Order: sequence, then structure tokens, then C-alpha cells
Amino acid sequence: MGTSVQVTPLCGVYNEDPLSYLVSIDGFNLLIDCGWNDHFDTSILHPLSRVATTIDAVLLSHLDTLHLGALPYAMKHLGLSAPVYATEPVFRLGLLTMYDHYLSRKQISEFDLFTLDDIDSAFQNITRLTYSQNYHMTGKGEGIVIAPHVAGHLLGGTVWKITKDGEDVIYAVDFNHRKERHLNGTVLESFVRPAVLITDAYNSLNNQPSRRQRDQEFLDAVMKTLRADGKVLLPVDTAGRILELILILEQYWAQHHLTYPIFFLTYVSSSTIDYAKSFLEWMSDSIAKSFEHTRDNAFLLKHVTLLINKSELDNVPDGPKIVLASMASLEAGFSHDIFVEWAADAKNLVLFTERGQFATLARMLQSDPPPKAVKVTMSKRVPLVGEELIAYEEEQNRMKKEEALKATLIKEEESKATIKAELPVGDAMVIDAGTTHTSSDAAVMHGDAYRDILIDGFVPPSSSAAPMFPFYDKSSEWDDFGEIINPDDYVIKDEDMDQAFMPVGGDIDAKFDEGSASLMLDTTPSKVVSSELTVQVKCSLIYMDFEGRSDGRSIKSILAHVAPLKLVLVHGSAEATEHLKQHCVKHVCPHIFAPQIEETIDVTSDLCAYKVQLSEKLMSNVLFKKLGDYEIAWVDAEVGKTESDMLSLLPLSNPAPAHKSVLVGDIKMADFKQFLASKGVQVEFAGGALRCGEYVTLRKVGDASQKGGAAAIQQIVIEGPLSEEYYKIREYLYSQFYSL
Amino acid sequence: MASTGQQTTSLKRRDSLVTREGDQLIITPLGAGNEVGRSCVYMSYKGKTVLFDCGIHPAYSGMAALPYFDEIDPSTIDVLLVTHFHLDHAASLPYFLEKTTFKGRVFMTHATKAIYKLLLSDYVKVSKVSVEDMLFDEQDILRSMDKIEVIDFHQTLEVNGIRFWCYTAGHVLGAAMFMVDIAGVRVLYTGDYSREEDRHLRAAELPQFSPDICIIESTYGVQLHQPRLIREKRFTDVIHSTVAQGGRVLIPAFALGRAQELLLILDEYWSNHPELHNIPIYYASPLAKRCMAVYQTYINAMNERIRNQFANSNPFDFKHISPLKSIDNFGDVGPSVVMASPGGLQSGLSRQLFDKWCSDKRNACVIPGYVVEGTLAKTIINEPKEVTLMNGLTAPLNMQVHYISFSAHADYAQTSTFLKELMPPNILLVHGEANEMGRLKQKLISLFADRNTKIITPKNCQSVEMYFNSEKMAKTIGKLAEKTPEVGENVSGLLVKKGFSYQILAPDDLHVFSQLSTANVTQRITIPYSGAFGVIKHRLKQIYESVGSSTDEESGVPTLRVHDRVTVKQESENHISLHWTADPISDMVSDSIVALVLNASREMPKVVVESEPVVDEAEEEKKAGKIIHALLVSIFGDVKFGENGKLVISVDGKVAQLDKQSGEVDSANEGLRERVKTAFRRIQDAVRPIPLSAS
Repeated sequence: MGTSVQVTPLCGVYNEDPLSYLVSIDGFNLLIDCGWNDHFDTSILHPLSRVATTIDAVLLSHLDTLHLGALPYAMKHLGLSAPVYATEPVFRLGLLTMYDHYLSRKQISEFDLFTLDDIDSAFQNITRLTYSQNYHMTGKGEGIVIAPHVAGHLLGGTVWKITKDGEDVIYAVDFNHRKERHLNGTVLESFVRPAVLITDAYNSLNNQPSRRQRDQEFLDAVMKTLRADGKVLLPVDTAGRILELILILEQYWAQHHLTYPIFFLTYVSSSTIDYAKSFLEWMSDSIAKSFEHTRDNAFLLKHVTLLINKSELDNVPDGPKIVLASMASLEAGFSHDIFVEWAADAKNLVLFTERGQFATLARMLQSDPPPKAVKVTMSKRVPLVGEELIAYEEEQNRMKKEEALKATLIKEEESKATIKAELPVGDAMVIDAGTTHTSSDAAVMHGDAYRDILIDGFVPPSSSAAPMFPFYDKSSEWDDFGEIINPDDYVIKDEDMDQAFMPVGGDIDAKFDEGSASLMLDTTPSKVVSSELTVQVKCSLIYMDFEGRSDGRSIKSILAHVAPLKLVLVHGSAEATEHLKQHCVKHVCPHIFAPQIEETIDVTSDLCAYKVQLSEKLMSNVLFKKLGDYEIAWVDAEVGKTESDMLSLLPLSNPAPAHKSVLVGDIKMADFKQFLASKGVQVEFAGGALRCGEYVTLRKVGDASQKGGAAAIQQIVIEGPLSEEYYKIREYLYSQFYSL
Repeated sequence: MASTGQQTTSLKRRDSLVTREGDQLIITPLGAGNEVGRSCVYMSYKGKTVLFDCGIHPAYSGMAALPYFDEIDPSTIDVLLVTHFHLDHAASLPYFLEKTTFKGRVFMTHATKAIYKLLLSDYVKVSKVSVEDMLFDEQDILRSMDKIEVIDFHQTLEVNGIRFWCYTAGHVLGAAMFMVDIAGVRVLYTGDYSREEDRHLRAAELPQFSPDICIIESTYGVQLHQPRLIREKRFTDVIHSTVAQGGRVLIPAFALGRAQELLLILDEYWSNHPELHNIPIYYASPLAKRCMAVYQTYINAMNERIRNQFANSNPFDFKHISPLKSIDNFGDVGPSVVMASPGGLQSGLSRQLFDKWCSDKRNACVIPGYVVEGTLAKTIINEPKEVTLMNGLTAPLNMQVHYISFSAHADYAQTSTFLKELMPPNILLVHGEANEMGRLKQKLISLFADRNTKIITPKNCQSVEMYFNSEKMAKTIGKLAEKTPEVGENVSGLLVKKGFSYQILAPDDLHVFSQLSTANVTQRITIPYSGAFGVIKHRLKQIYESVGSSTDEESGVPTLRVHDRVTVKQESENHISLHWTADPISDMVSDSIVALVLNASREMPKVVVESEPVVDEAEEEKKAGKIIHALLVSIFGDVKFGENGKLVISVDGKVAQLDKQSGEVDSANEGLRERVKTAFRRIQDAVRPIPLSAS
């Protein structure tokens, strides 16, 4: 029997909630994705909280909150402590995305689900992999190999391939087969016949216009507004699709020498672009190529101004401009504030480039017809003044005092304990000679220890930490050759110098832009003030699909091509999931699963397999025929055993029984028609059959549309009267196959 | 034992008596064997061929600088892997890609590819060889760029069954060590590597898996490097004291690689010493200037330190160092520090400055890296009294010469610990001067004395042959594997090979586990025949053992089932049809039926009554015996009748005895026995009637 595989969705099935799935392979629990929504709604994490402690590894596929947002919270509060695996861009830009979310939230609420430190410590656990790197799990997961592959959609986006004993489980959500400006298309199609494929139904009902047409419409809409003296707001994500949008605008501006200013406003915008500049190896071939040839980094932006603070935007003279601001949901962040300011002006345009998450302001505005007015909560963090400030300070002082009190108590406890511990030792003069030689900084470190030195016959009062000036005698030992020296003392300490030379890198390079840093480190007491107001939505609202996901039709054809033995559908509205399920049952494979939340499904393959050794004797008599990537032969063998008790195949001792011959090959009628035509045979399609020459007809019978799993053996019928032509065409037909 | 490992796809079967070619792994250094320069190592195993690196020898020019490409057939190479951008590892690539029959694929890392182009364009411009001697031009480089593919560290790729991936090598930006896996045999090629982390590069990684063969550089042989910080201190001290005394410092360094490291050191030192701020530092290399963008971009290939610094400002934006275009733009007033290429002082700017400064004893020349034999830099390390200038005159060498090696090659300590941890059973030393290499070999032999480790130092073009007896494992899956067979049972199925993995499966499962599919071809042929159906039936019965008659259910016409394969049906008064599923035997049966039907319609009037032939068993046997003998003669040549009706077959002095009755073959030579057995079985199949149960 094959490897046991179970899938349990924890979030994000039959709806568009964040993604989070538990995949258990022979008892090794992998959490794939750990998403959260823009509301940071803890209720959707309940299923995760129940299993968090049993998880052995976490795999992240994309850098947005829907795929990794809950990681800091789960690590801090739910007891998730497994190692995390992701690609470098998912790690770096995911970190920035989380920072941006935190800072945006903190501005408008007393956000306490996780802190910046929690984000840092959660991301510290991440092991970074490169595309197609086979990472071998150790310990409990021995034998499991994970490998990230290109998914398209977002920078560093990953299709995970998990392999055990030659069986592949593939997790592919939000992939994009189309090549874009900054990303290559997914390589999902290069995997064929995996044992299990887990994919999403998110876009199965969607159809997209061609990229060229969509880009044109986008630019037209933007230009129309700008020319009419309007302002354009693009609510975007922090570090994902924004890169594509920036490239589109940047290129268009460069081509047409436009001067309308473009602003990219998030708390981490400059870091985002800096990192994007150093991620060229993760981007599309064309970006890499242009860099190799001309050393022009595509993200060396000439027309886009990076802002990290809204006040900078307010200083810009009024006039037509484009602002790309986070969050895409309009629930928080700069985009929210800007929307409130600009919505009332009919000249302005708010252009959504992705579908808003469910129950967000963005989603509301995308509904058809758009609402005339929306209620929004305006929240603002203001410094405390007057009585509040005094109250706050008092509170702080009280807390400080308490802490100080606690600290002294603890210290006393400790000193008592050490004194007690030291007392029975008695001879306090014995001090390790080694410590006396250490460099000055080491001495400082040891300083504390000297405080506890006791002098014979003098018992210090327990309250005094240092009974006298710490003095220690340099005791030296002698042997026949004189004073014993420690050769280590004379070695130049590399490590010490290293530290002196290299500024310690710090745990994680939490790079904040100065503005945000000041904001975070700002200890000025502040509070959040909220007010509700109704905003008249007069500006134009447009939604265009720049999500960078494959559309319904492509998903179907990709699935048919990949043809998994078992298919698990997740993430997508109920209709979309149901639609794709129906489609796939007919055209992909009969084993389709669409589990509910916390429903565990068993997708263990019912495959039988055993391993045998191929003996040299057998192999020397095998004639392989080459067919594309494959070489194929018929073997008749007898089972034997090797010394190491393996099954081994030996040549038959008696003549092999004849076997039914097998024709191997895939024939396409259209191709065969071409082939015959090239051989000078008159061919045409007539009534579903291929008429060859005057009399012979060739037909393919059986359900040809059924690809993959159920694809039975092809049935081809050749009919005709006895004639030379018949034999000739049969000869050509045979030439398309290998007979074994 | 003699056996073939790997069957080629050609139909000509390899003689199983002679070769073990398939299991033979050949490694041939085409360059860098007992020398430094023109790295190029050829490797072939199981019909797959890999070439590592493609460099030139910096001390030679023109064709003489190339590796010995004549030794191999470039068209057979599947994959060419380039470890890093240095000229002695990559510079013959445009030549090899554009001027030879090579048609495989080339891989290098992103950073290597970006710098490769800049470096070689510069090389073409700088090298002053005559036009005929030019190995390639700018256009060749540009064309080669299109053919080069990129690979990221740790990314596993597979080409033609050859799997390979690369590890950080630490030597220069983008330097990689390649691990190649062919049919389970792993070979590690380190290229130039360093296990010491420096200011911007990571140390070479220790591969997860131990390779079967490790091809390792031995540049520094048994030498030991000083600790990095002492080297840095010496370096900065020499420079500081020289400029403090009003002297000039020349640092001849190759434009890329170590130069960036030294610039990082100098920039930091200058930042910490404000008193030096009025003394200019120049790097006189337009190439280094051009490559700076690459260094500023591929931060992810560098170490944590740089990546963390990157978060604040790009460390490759130097504050105290400025580029220098050419010597004409250089004022040369007062003390200064100039880093100039080439590193060997062969020609160019570094040589011009050397000629200018060498006779003043206040000046200093710091040689920061490995210098190749035969260059001026190598000469002045020994501090001769006089040197020959570019214009042919001699001048006294008064300037101080310091040799402070910053070259990021492994020293003996690094090499030995690396190998100890890796434990490869076979070690091949390349990229080192013969003497150094010999010393290293001796030391490694004593180090690994208690283990069965082979250490080999092949010369250029000297092939190393090794044998790996790889077991071929196959996975039986699907319907065939529903039950694991016991010893002695038979297994029959399709053996499908992809890359080096084998699967055995039932024909029906082929489409499930591979992209191949099977087909059934049903044939239906109509023949004009207006005679009685009974005649045909009668005739068929005379020929075939099994002729079953029935009536077609739909049309009610009489049908015959011949040999359980072909259905003959009387379609109408004037036609009969044949209907069967294509298969060699069925095709033959149907052909005979067609012939019979045609005959029958032609000889219509005659009623042939054939007397039942008396089959003389003995006669038949004799006839068959004759045929078998004749066929065996045609295969083996010398076939004699021996005792007890046995046949004695002798080939090249080897004798086999064949018992015609049982098919038993008796021979001392196993290979011959197998072949005679197979041949006899096939002959038997051909001369006997087809058994009915064949399907």
C-alpha cells in the first residue's frame, strides 16, 4: 500500500476565507499556509488552535496575509512551534506585509493580537528555500522531501511538491500560468500524474480578457481620469501584486513621457522596492535578461515616488496624480484615509485591481450597483493631553515602581541563594586562573561573580551584595618547568576580533523606514479616537482583474493536463467549488474531494507497489525502444532473491509464454492526417472519420474527450476494401506505434 | 562477471561478452590537471556526459590557452556547468559554444552570468592578440549569452537523466560547487572554493550528501592561510604606513572578486581613520565599475552580514573610494592608493603604474592574491634587484613588495576538514601546481590511511576510470503489483524507463503511470468473393486448427472465427469481410485468409480434393532440425553435430553444447550460453507452428 495521506482543511473551503490546511503524510503533520483575513478575526482560527501543537512543519505558499497572516499569532498564542519553510521573497516581503498590517492597525485601534516582536520571532523560524530545491526532512519526517516550485501570482509564490516514496502530493493554489512583466508562469503543468493534487476553485467561474486588452483598458481608465484633472487611488496589497502594477505604470510613463506623479504609499514602501531590486533571480526571464545585458534593474523606479507617511502626500500640490496605497481591503491603512478624502469628488477614480475580501469596504464598493454612500469609521491616534496624560503618567510611574520593587526582591532572593550556595564551599580564594586572563570585556561580564567572594571568617550580612571591594588574588600554579601557562591565552582571539570588526548583525534585519520607526518607537502616550461618518461615493469605481491568477478555463485545462490520481478542491465560493468539482469528475479524474472545515479526508493512494532488483542477466537481454522521454520494453522474468533478501528479477529458465502484443503510442488524428498528407496520401476528415485515399477510413472510437484518469486504451478502427492502399495506410498507421 | 550495464537505444545489441562500459565512469581533466588555469574537466558515465568549467590559461594566448578540447567530441556533451566567472573557469565558453559542435545545455548562476558577459567583453577588448589568434569576438559572447541558462543555489535540475544542483562555494560572488547525480552515482566538483566567510561572501557549504567522487581544487596544497583578521591588519598597516610616509600603494588585483573584498576593507578602514580622509583611493577598472551594479543587486548570494547592512544602505556604495578611468586622468601628486588590474602585472594599467613607481623606495606594492606562474607579479614576490619594464629597459626594484594572500581558495586546513566531513571514497585533485598537488596528495593519503580512500592526481588528458556497480531497481506498480510474487513465480509486463528510474507495469496501467498510452487497432477489410461461404470454411479448416462458426447476431450472416483471432463474415453475396485486432500474429493469419479467399475465388470452378497428407513425424523433425542447424550456422558460424544429437557451437575458442530436445545449453562461458539459449528459443518460435493459446 502507498503512503498514507490525509487532508483536513482548517480554514478556507467553500468560501473565500484565508487558506490553511493540514496535510498529514504517514503521521507527519504539515500545515500548509497559515492565513488570516484583513479583519484579524480570531474566530476563524479556532480549528487551527485545536491542532496547532501537533503540527510538525509549516509550509507557506504566498506572501500575502491570506496565506501567512496568522503565523505570528499562532506562534505566540496557539502554541505553534514547528519549523516554517518558505522562499526568500515570501520570507522578506511577507515580513514587510505583516509590518504594514500591524502599523496600519495600530494607527486606528488598540491592536494587541500580536506585536512587531511577535512578527519578528515568528519569521525567524523560517527556513528559506529556492525554487526546485529538494529539501529532505529529518527526524519524524524522515523520507519526506519538500520542494517549492514557481506558482506565478506573487513574487516567490510557491507550488509545493511533497514527495514520499515516489508519490507526489502537490499543493497548488493561486497559481498563474501566464507570464507577466515581473513573473514567470507556473510550472504546475510540468508535473504529471501526481498521487494527490490540492488546488483552489477560487477562479473557476472567472474569465479574463487577454493581458494586452486588460492593460490597455487599465491605462485608458487611468489616463482619462488624470487628463480630466482627477486623482486616481489604487488600493493595493503591500508587496505582492503592487510590483506588477508599478511596472505597468513605470513602463507606460517612460514610453509616453508622462509627468503625472505616481506615489506608492505604504509604511514599508521603500524597503519593499529595495528588496524587489535584489530579487531579480526570482522574477521573469525578461527581467533577468535585461539586467544581464544592460544592468538596468527594472525596479530602479524613475517615475514612482515612494512614500511612507501620509503627511508627505498631503504636502504634494493638489492636482492629478496616482496613489497606490495599502490595504487593498480599504479597511485600514492609507488607502482607507485617502478614500474618505477623495470619494466625494466625481472627478476622482478608485480603481480596484483585486477582488476585495468578503465583508470589507472594498468588497462593498465593488458590488453592482455601487452604494451611493458608505459609512466608515475614521480612527486616529492622538497624543494624550491634559488630565489623561497625567493619569497615564501616574499609571506608568506606579507600574515602574512596582517593577523596580519586584526586581529588588528578586535580586535579594538571588543573592541570598548564591551566598547559601557558596558558604559550604568554604575556600573562596580558589578562583579559576583562566578567568583572570580574559580580556577586559570578559572581566566585566565576570564582575558580578566577584561580588559574591567571601573572605574567610567574615560572614556578610545577607542584605549586602558586595561586602568589600572585590579583590582577587592571582594564584599561580607551578610545576617542574615553572608557572603553568595556558597556551590559549597567547592565541590571538579571532572571535573577539571578529566581533570587534563586524557589527553584530542583529537577529533579523528589521528594517523600518525612519518614519515608521519613529512611530513605533514613539513612546509618547497616545490613544485612539474614532468617529463614524458617512461618505458620499461620487467618484468613479472600477474593478479590473489584476490578481494574476489563472482563469476558469485555464484552470480546467491545466487540471486536465496534470491529471492527478486524486484531486482535493479548496478555497473558492461554494458555487465555484461545486462547478469545478462537477467539471473535474467528468474530465479530470473520478476521485474528487471537496472537504468541509475540519473534515478529514483520506486520499491515501490505493496503489500497490513493490520494489525489485533488475538483474544484469535480465537487463542484458532487454531491448528498449525510445519514446520521447521514456524508454520502454517488454520483460518476462522470474522472481528470485538477492543476497540481501531483495526480490530480484531473473531471466526465465524456460521460453517465455507469448503475450498479447501491445501497441504503445499516442495518435492524434490531426497529426496523422498531416503525416499522411506528407506521404502523398489524399486525406480529409469526413463525419468524424479520416478518409484516406479513396476507400480507406480511419476512426477513433470511444470517448476521446475523457482525458487523464479514466482515459482508456485508444480504439482505432481502420476499414477498407482489399487494396494496395489499405496495406499502405496500415503500414503508416503502424509506424506511429511501437509494438511490444 | 561479464555483463552489459546499460542498453543503448540502438538496436545493435552490445556484446555482452566484452564490455562493462556502462558501469564505467571516466573523468578526464582537459585542463587544470597538475596546473592552475584553463579549468575543464570531462566526465562520462552511462552514456551521459558532463563538462565542468571551460576556462583559458592566462599565461598563454590564442589557441594554446584553450583546454584540450580535441580529446573529446563536443557534440556528445549533455551538460556544461560553469562554477564561476573567472577567466580560467569561464573564458573559453564563447569559443566552445560558438566554434565547436557542442549542442548541449550550459548552466551557471545568475551573478556569474551577469558578470561573465562584462568580464569577457572586457577581455576581448584588452587582450592584444592578432585577429587570427582571437578565439572569439564580442558577437560570440552576445550569442553565447542566449544559450546560457541560469541555476540558483540548491535548485535541482534534470537534463537527460542527469540531475544536478549547486552549493555556495564562497570563492567569488556567484561561485558554485556542482553536485551531479547520474543513476545514483554522485560527483562533486568544487571549482574554486573557500570555507572561510569573508566580508561579503558566505563560506562554502558542506553538501548534505556525501559524493562518490569529489573533484577538488588544490591551489594552495599544504599551505596554511593566516587568519583573516591578521591578514587584514597586515594589509591595512602596510598601506597606512606607506601613505603616512608619503608613498604610493599599488594593489594589482584582478578587477573582480577579491577586489570588491579589498575595497570593502579599505572603505571601512578609511571610515574609521579620519586622518586618512585626504588620501584618495582609486580603483582603476572600468570593468569593476560596471560590475558594481551586479554586486549591488545579487545581495541574496552574499552572507548575512551584507544582507543586514543592505537593510540600511548598500555596502557597495563606497564613501572613500572613487573609480579611475585611465592613467591619463590620474594626477599622481602625493600619496595615494590605487587598485588596478590585471593582477599579474602582465600589461595594462597596473603595469603602467608599476613601471612608474617601482624605483622609488617609499612606494609599496601589495599583491593580494594567488599569482600565476610566469607573470611579473610572481617574479617580484622573490624581490629581485632589477625588473624589466614594458619598454624593454631594466630598472631597479626599490619599492617594497608585500604578498598578503587574500585569495579565497581553501588552504590545507580547510581542504582536509572539508574532505574529512564529506568522506568521499574517491578524491580527484585538480587546479594546482604539480608540486603542491603532490604534497597535498601525500598528506591526504596519510590522513585517510585507515580508510579505503583513493586519491588521484591526473594530468591533463589522462583519463581516470572507475567502476560503479549500480544496482538497477525497478518499482512494480499498479495491477501487476496487487500481490507481491513469491520466488520462482513469473512476472511479465512493460518495463518503462525514464531517466534512470524503472517501472514495471501492466499494459493497461501504462497511461495511468506515464504519459504514454496504448492503443488497439481494429482492422476490417472487405474482399470481393462471390462463391459459397462453405468453401472458405472448408479450406480454412484444412489450414487452421481452430475454426469456429456461428452467425452474427445483428445481421444474421454466417461468421467464422479463425484461430480465435480473425472473424470472417459474409457481408453480402459478393463480399466477405475480415475483422481482427491488429497484432503481428493476427495480421499474419488474416493475410493467409486473404490469400486463401483470393485463391478460392480465382480457382472457383475447380474442386480441389486434397488428399489428407500423411504427416511423417520423423520427416518433420528432420526438416526442422535442418532448419535449426542452418539458422544457427548463420548466427554463430561454426556449428557441428556432436554426440547424442547435440550441437556443438564454438565462437572465438569458447564452446557451447546445445541439446535440441530440451533447449539446454552447456557452456563454460555464461555469456555465450545465454546467447545460444536466446537464439535457439527464437529459432524454435519461428520454425514451429504458432500455438493456439498465444493470445
